[in-house]
Amino acid sequence: MAGTARIAAELERIVGADGVFTTHEARMTYEADMHTLYKGEPDVVVLPRSSLQVRDIVRLCRRERVPVVPRGSGTGLIGGATAPKGGVMVSLTRMTDILDIDLPNRCATVQPGLINLWLTNAVRDRGYFFAPDPSSQMVSSIGGNVSTNAGGPHCLKYGITTNHVLGLEFVIGTGEVVRVGGKAADRPGYDLPGAMVGAEGTFGLVTAITVRLLHTPAAVKTILATFATVVDASEVVSAIIAAGIVPAALEMLDEAMIGAINAAIGKVYPDGAGAVLLIELDGPGAEVEAQAERIAAICRERAALFVSVARDELERALLWKGRKEAAGAIGRIASAYLLQDAVVPRSKLPEIMREMVELGRRYNLMIANVFHAGDGNLHPMICYDDRNPDEFARAQEVNEALLRACIALGGSVTGEHGVGMDKAKNLPLQYADADLNFMYRLRRVFDPDGLMNPAKLLPSHPACGEGFRPARPVLPAGTWV
Amino acid sequence: MSVTARSLGGAFATVVGAEAVRDDAASLAAAAVDGVPPRFVVSPPSVEQLAQVMALASAEGLAVVPRGSGSALEQGLPPARVDLVVDLRRLDAVVEHHPDDQTITVQAGLTAGALAARLAPHGQALPLDPPGFGTRTLGGVAATQASGPLRARYGTLRDLLLGVRFVQADGVLTWGGAKVVKSVTGYDVPKLMVGALGTLGVLAELTLRLHPLPEREATWLASFRSTSLAQECVAAVLDSTLQPNRLELLDDRALTACGLPVAAAGLAISVATVEPAVRAQEAELAAIVQRLRGRFETMGTSFWRVYDRALAAPGAVVLRIGTVPTELAVVLAEAREALTGVAVSGCAAVGALRARVGLADVDALASGIERLRAIVADVDGGVIVERAPRALREKVDPWGPVPAPALEVMRAIKREFDPAGVLNPGRFVGGL
Repeated sequence: MAGTARIAAELERIVGADGVFTTHEARMTYEADMHTLYKGEPDVVVLPRSSLQVRDIVRLCRRERVPVVPRGSGTGLIGGATAPKGGVMVSLTRMTDILDIDLPNRCATVQPGLINLWLTNAVRDRGYFFAPDPSSQMVSSIGGNVSTNAGGPHCLKYGITTNHVLGLEFVIGTGEVVRVGGKAADRPGYDLPGAMVGAEGTFGLVTAITVRLLHTPAAVKTILATFATVVDASEVVSAIIAAGIVPAALEMLDEAMIGAINAAIGKVYPDGAGAVLLIELDGPGAEVEAQAERIAAICRERAALFVSVARDELERALLWKGRKEAAGAIGRIASAYLLQDAVVPRSKLPEIMREMVELGRRYNLMIANVFHAGDGNLHPMICYDDRNPDEFARAQEVNEALLRACIALGGSVTGEHGVGMDKAKNLPLQYADADLNFMYRLRRVFDPDGLMNPAKLLPSHPACGEGFRPARPVLPAGTWV
Repeated sequence: MSVTARSLGGAFATVVGAEAVRDDAASLAAAAVDGVPPRFVVSPPSVEQLAQVMALASAEGLAVVPRGSGSALEQGLPPARVDLVVDLRRLDAVVEHHPDDQTITVQAGLTAGALAARLAPHGQALPLDPPGFGTRTLGGVAATQASGPLRARYGTLRDLLLGVRFVQADGVLTWGGAKVVKSVTGYDVPKLMVGALGTLGVLAELTLRLHPLPEREATWLASFRSTSLAQECVAAVLDSTLQPNRLELLDDRALTACGLPVAAAGLAISVATVEPAVRAQEAELAAIVQRLRGRFETMGTSFWRVYDRALAAPGAVVLRIGTVPTELAVVLAEAREALTGVAVSGCAAVGALRARVGLADVDALASGIERLRAIVADVDGGVIVERAPRALREKVDPWGPVPAPALEVMRAIKREFDPAGVLNPGRFVGGL
């Protein structure tokens, strides 16, 4: 980057000398997020402490025409918080304050670097929680959750991040500080918070977030059911949804995953099962009781090998512990894996799981599954040996084939991880030229110079280029114009 | 090249068929927006033809006003121009319903009532009930971001809309979102289109998330001797594990309008779940109300039809007041001071109130609205004029202030997607 030293000096004037990193060793720490196949070292890393510092950083970068890459905890799974074009990485880990907790109005305002779970920890003893619960919630930041519109197991019932964001303070690509939404209901104008959540840093940087808090439910019940095959379990998932029950969470683990988890943290799931369903209900006690009975009955009617209800909080925590440790446990059985995040209509689960078993067999690869079955959001981990280029190539083929199969069934490219660098090329599977062009133009409104987290979210595609005009409808012959 | 109306009408007829184009004086007068009649009313029978109509309108530089049932035409600023009214009521098909996925894709001209009838046999519903929803089109509900009592539990249409197909100003048919219940692929275009009053595109199809119909639903009325006691009750319910699907606050005049016993304020509360959970929550609610010395009684679920009729009744100015649950009593008191004869009710759980006030002196109404705006500004709330005669909306900005930086972003979005300013021009915030 031309003028790095000068820009670093300016950044030091904005945030202080202790907030700017320029050495190669320091910058290397920031070259990738959790998707380590994508690497890009920023030229400078800057750690602001306030919204105004963020604004000044963006204004400086705009003047100097250098890319700005926001970064929260770096736990993203899509290569979103990496700097493939260099530039200035803005790490928000020093902006971790809770600015306001307003329980009577069931909301809180926080800085973007605050860790997701810390917010729930701050209000739990008063009976409240922040609903979006990505598996990374112990380490991921709320700003990052907002940027990727993160989901989690309990989003089945409660919705993803966007459903819990009431207001945002944002420094957009033009260097303006814009406050949108807020505590009070029904703002006039476009739903800018709605449009800005999930923009993955391409509109700018979020500097404060007002989120909804929910009251802790009266009762929680966790049910474990095991099945001989993932297809059997998938059919039960479809049957539960079709029966009109919306559990808080409805997670599936397959045989490979069960084995890995049991090997890693002790036997939490019964051996010999081809699939485990972890079903959680929450709400008023009597509602939870009634629904638990119906779900248990559905499981038994449909070939469950074993159904059990956690008897206490300890058992419940143990059942979830396995689920939450899944990503770590897989390390025991595979040196590397590709993680897919595509979605299918939930009634298509049996179909896609059959297809997945077949793909694993055909390409001779282990695919371990642990995913949000209730909303059809798959998370197959396609395992490969990273010292074996042929296996890696096969894993990539399976990954793409699975994604295409999901789309063919009417699904979505990404359910909760986001697009980033990883899936930008896949957007044309879901969107036509006109749709991509609309998104490209929306981006340009917020980032006219193309400097905000470049090379993410949108593909390099003709429809995402300057001057592209989507085809207009052809008028019938004889239309007089 | 300028054209005569007659030949342009012929061009529309070639696209949609002669029976779908009206340019007679009576039809034009009936389709007038704030007294401004269009030159044509076109009712496209298919989404593709809607796109062709828009392409033709754009080539001719016509200002387009999309309309559904016409129930929300008295909203927003008076139009800058009206050349073509696109009537979407013929687009009323269910495109695809996947009961097992609890999703449905419908055309924008389908009414919420027709959708409910279609879904009931499947034990499903779209939990969205803005005033008069039975006869309102879903496209209209989406464009105006209208909501009703069920938002206490299910949010508004923005939370239920998974995907959207719309026609841009130049006729380009565009899709955003997904047809599955969970997707973060690309920008959340559906959210941008909800509440945009057709100023960024004409809504053509909506993909919606459905919910199961409850096994049982029960409704109660809790009435109180003061609005502050009613507010205390709201606070107690919100700070509990109760899960009402409606928590509607009614002031004394709203109670009277619904034919309910007189009290300073009442809460109409409903719970929808399995039978034993209904009974358990009833007991808990009754205890809260008793502690606050209120009266607790069971109402039939038919109350909600009565309430809907009262809210949708014509002949009043309707304001949407955005506030927070802790300010309810203050807003009720201030509204009473500011607006003579006002009746206020709304979703207490999120502080979304509606004020109905008789058609009276425009100057007095305008100053009352501004006074109310000053009060709710303390919590960054606002007052939107949801329905009023043109004279009032000329006197007072029906949207209220939008902070300059946010408004500038909105202007930039509008400029990008409607550079010629032909989509519902003049009516949205800031005259967009």
